[in-house]
Amino acid sequence: MSKEKDYIIKVEHLNKHFISGGNDIEVLRDINLQIKHGEFVTIVGHSGCGKSTLLKIMCGLVSYEDGVVERNGHAVDGPGPRCGMVFQEHRLLPWLKIKDNVGFGLKGLPKEQREALVKEHLELVGLKGFENSYPHQLSGGMSQRAAIARGLANNPTILLLDEPFGALDALTRIQMQKEITRIQREQGTTMVMVTHDIDEAIVLGDRIVVMSARPGQIKDIITVETRGQGHMRNSDEFTYYKKKIYGYLFEDAQEEQYEVEYMI
Amino acid sequence: MKTIVRKTIVALIIPIILILAWFYATTRGNIPDGILPSISKVWQAFLEMVESGQLQGDLLVSLSRVVKGYLCSIVFGVVLGALIGMSRTMKELLFPLITVIRQIPIIAWIPLIILWAGIGEESKVVIIVMAAFFPILVNTENGISQTPESYREVAKLYKLSQWKTFTKVYLPHAIPQILVGLKLGLGTSWMAVVAAELIAATSGIGYRMSDARSLMRADVVIVCMLVIGLIGIVMDKLLGSLFSLFTPWKK
Repeated sequence: MSKEKDYIIKVEHLNKHFISGGNDIEVLRDINLQIKHGEFVTIVGHSGCGKSTLLKIMCGLVSYEDGVVERNGHAVDGPGPRCGMVFQEHRLLPWLKIKDNVGFGLKGLPKEQREALVKEHLELVGLKGFENSYPHQLSGGMSQRAAIARGLANNPTILLLDEPFGALDALTRIQMQKEITRIQREQGTTMVMVTHDIDEAIVLGDRIVVMSARPGQIKDIITVETRGQGHMRNSDEFTYYKKKIYGYLFEDAQEEQYEVEYMI
Repeated sequence: MKTIVRKTIVALIIPIILILAWFYATTRGNIPDGILPSISKVWQAFLEMVESGQLQGDLLVSLSRVVKGYLCSIVFGVVLGALIGMSRTMKELLFPLITVIRQIPIIAWIPLIILWAGIGEESKVVIIVMAAFFPILVNTENGISQTPESYREVAKLYKLSQWKTFTKVYLPHAIPQILVGLKLGLGTSWMAVVAAELIAATSGIGYRMSDARSLMRADVVIVCMLVIGLIGIVMDKLLGSLFSLFTPWKK
């Protein structure tokens, strides 16, 4: 029983179908995944493999019918305050100032407490001084920082990130990867990040979940031993993991006659 | 700066030609005053109307009707537009009907409204409400229902109540579009009041024109027309400059 409580997210035998234009599309097939407290799990796979759907199911934004999905020991039946989410597009509301965007999910708090939380999280993501800016005044990377601050402001036990750096340029992306690592260390928040960037998955993940193309199935879960040692990108392990993941995704591509979307 | 000067000059070419033609026709031609009075006669009429206070009085009557009708139509239009924009059932219930009714020009409503509400103040206000209501409603509905799924999902993620979702997500998203509706609505209500007063009224700028026509005072008619156009532009610009106050997040 105590072992059960170690898991913040538990997914068992999850299947998911969508009905689209009269066709039944199988999106996820027999997903089994446990996520422990304080872990950083990355999910990597082709576009359209259902990894974002999996994340939204964990978060409660998408419903599921078949299987078990538990968050903090309870079946997921909708979004909750202890589960934050960051999307690929920052999704800051253009009509709210950055401070109001970051405090968007803070409900029922006295004003001072709310402001203190907003301030604290803006500092955490390095956006001090931008409280009164509007989203259009921020660059892509800064907007995504604000979105992360919004996701964390509620003090969630878990933060789900849906390709949060996918739309950023390469240099900003690397910068943001460093930032999110730092934030995770400082806050100790459990994080699950969906990505199609294999390097990102290896650099950030304690564990990497590799998913096959539609229907999305878990091919393998790779535990990264050397995470956070600073020289990951040019280490032998890095190359080893990269080759391994490429192998999974490439094999997939050949089987299903897909074009490979990745460049080495 | 240069482009502004150039634009102004280009924009003035045709009006200047028209004024010259008017001047030429009335000084060299043999056109009776009852058809086309000279520019100086029109100016004279304008001065007389201002001095006697008649023009100001007429405008005040017409504008107060516009204000009453316009404010009513804002309330009806925004509330109903928001309801239709938020609820699919409401849209299915009301939108087809609204689309059909909109096709009837406002002028065509005037006889029936006069039969029902007489030729007093009420009928004018009703006509204005009818004229301004539809552009406001349609634009509000549009702005609300076009709120992107991505923003709605954020509200869902943070479990905002229906009302909070409306005030924090739908309404702000719709504001620019609602303002477009308000602008169009003001224009149509100004046109509608003139039309209503032309047909049945005992006061107002439209009545003044109708009265002047029966007295063969084309100069007064032209003064009224020019003033109506001018007021229309001024109202449009005023409202336009108010817009930036409502959307501080826009550049």
